[in-house]
Amino acid sequence: MTLLDFLNFYLVPGIVLGAIYAVGAIGITLVFGILRFAHFAHGDMATLGAFIALALAASGMDPWVALPLAMAITAVIAIGVDRSFYDYLSRRPKILTVMASLGVALMLRAVVQVVWGVDPTTYVTGIVRPEEYFGILLRPRELNTLLTVVLIVVGLELFLRKSKWGKAMRAMSDNPDLARLSGVDNRKVTMLTWAIVGALCTASGFMLGINTELHSMMGWQLLLPMFAAAILGGVGRVQGAVLGGLIVGITEELSVFVVPAQYKAATAFALLLIILLVRPRGLLNGKVL
Amino acid sequence: MNKKTIATLVGSLLGAAVLAAPAHAQNVKIGLLAGISGPIAAMAPGMLDASRLAIAQVNEQGGILNNGKLEFTIGDSACNPQNATDAATKAVNIDRVVAIVGPSCSGAVLAAANSVTIPAGVLMVTPSGTSPEITKLNDKDLVFRTLPSDDYQGRALARSLLERGTKTVAVAYLNNDYGKGLAESFKAEFEAKGGKLAGYSGHEGGKASYRSDLAQLARGGADTLVIFDYGDGTGLTILRQALENGFFKQYVGADGMKIDSIIRSLGEKNLANFFTSAPVGEATQALELFNKAFAAAGHDPNAVFATSAYDAAFLVALAIEKAGGDKAKLSEALRAVASGPGEPILPGEWAKAKKLIAEGKDIDYKGAGGDHEFDQAGDVPGTYALFKVANGTYEAIADMK
Repeated sequence: MTLLDFLNFYLVPGIVLGAIYAVGAIGITLVFGILRFAHFAHGDMATLGAFIALALAASGMDPWVALPLAMAITAVIAIGVDRSFYDYLSRRPKILTVMASLGVALMLRAVVQVVWGVDPTTYVTGIVRPEEYFGILLRPRELNTLLTVVLIVVGLELFLRKSKWGKAMRAMSDNPDLARLSGVDNRKVTMLTWAIVGALCTASGFMLGINTELHSMMGWQLLLPMFAAAILGGVGRVQGAVLGGLIVGITEELSVFVVPAQYKAATAFALLLIILLVRPRGLLNGKVL
Repeated sequence: MNKKTIATLVGSLLGAAVLAAPAHAQNVKIGLLAGISGPIAAMAPGMLDASRLAIAQVNEQGGILNNGKLEFTIGDSACNPQNATDAATKAVNIDRVVAIVGPSCSGAVLAAANSVTIPAGVLMVTPSGTSPEITKLNDKDLVFRTLPSDDYQGRALARSLLERGTKTVAVAYLNNDYGKGLAESFKAEFEAKGGKLAGYSGHEGGKASYRSDLAQLARGGADTLVIFDYGDGTGLTILRQALENGFFKQYVGADGMKIDSIIRSLGEKNLANFFTSAPVGEATQALELFNKAFAAAGHDPNAVFATSAYDAAFLVALAIEKAGGDKAKLSEALRAVASGPGEPILPGEWAKAKKLIAEGKDIDYKGAGGDHEFDQAGDVPGTYALFKVANGTYEAIADMK
């Protein structure tokens, strides 16, 4: 095997996959860091977002143009989900919200199955052969995916560090009561968080869909690697989620060198176990944004 | 009237109704379990339509037993063991079905049979569970299938490929009862007949990328990749990623890959070197009758597993009629109505069968998908053809021996 083969068929797919996990993991980390619960509906919200983008793309839009629009629509839906299900439980023990999110996951999936059916489908029919850049094989959609992920991560990081509302989010993540005393409107921050999470879900679902296929279970199957990525990087940390996503994605793709391919899916589990044993706070010391 | 009197009155009326129920109608309920969601979801509607056609014919032509109606309840086995067990439990314990047609997918069949239907003594006829593992099931003669075990298909596919001059292949199989069963039969026959496996590996479903798996398989130097997977699930992802990266020149799948969404998603022009094997009904009068009736009902007779799903439901109905509705005698009755000798019964000939059974004569159902002469394990032999993609659908190009 040449170095180029290694890059093209193992490392690059791992990076693309990892970038998709990363966007999903950022959402999980935001919910955990600010609202303090594990959001199990994350994967299915990604599915819903991806299918909304599909509906827009079906009306003749280029899928990549449809993405921001779908992100906005899903952001509104995410706020609606919070208002109708999670908000109501916010003063009860968090485990109730976690379980409720599992129910929401089933509901969102059912909506997708009822509206779009259960057959796998794609944004664009046909296959795309890669173009060569100095020996590295890349498809336009993979370049776009990586570019989008970089934009999202840089944009979100700037927003959290520089803007007033980003600082409010971080304050609420540190200590909600203190944040309220300092004049941060917890309710608005919660809404903002859900809007961002909905948009991030859509981005990850869309990018998974455009790199493979769309089907009603796609997001649910993504949940485990995304959680592994978030915990690996340190829950509550955006950079950690990105790092974790890349590590999980690359490890999964490279694992075939070491273990038989049917254990590939287990590598995310194994990583999660190891990190929980060795460094439970994650690589970047989780808990605060 | 005080409340107590009314309560007593209502209570006795209800009691009377319950007692009277069995006397005036002998409705019988069967369960139809199919993978409505999950990786073979695209096949489920065709299969359910076919089973429902059989049930409709029964009810149109005199009904079941003593003027009863054959009723059904539908469950989603989702092509996985957990859902299949849940759906079977509901059908057996709540809906009180006497027999189950389904579920889809081998793992689902094994789980539902082992934990629900065999302990409950309920007959199960699966129209699409094809794993060789089902043959080995210790089933008290309660599990049957109306399509052949994959052992036949895997071996037939191996022989066909060798005959077509493909001597070296790589195999990617889904790591479940279906994929693994097929792959093992294929491997055994292919190697025994002088073929060479340049790669052989399983994979888990539901991952987003299989490029490293494929690169690993391609390193063996084979030009042909054999995929034992579902075309509604990871099979599609694998085929796409293999095509896009040009890992192999020729792709071969089994019945699980013969799915329209592959053509829809990947485009016909990219699938010139893609072949699938699938069970086919022999061109019999029975198949023609079924095709005509199924088309008349507005469905596509070429749907995968439509013939086996129809036969399963029709056979179950015949068995119920033969056993006089006695659950304990169903499997014995099923063997009696399906095997020769006896007066041949073709698809849709319910009235004739009912009359013969009433006269105590032996019948032999000749199904749309085959004769269904069950062996000891409840398996049937089968015929297969190799298909290629043409004109937006799959066309048979060769029979497989």
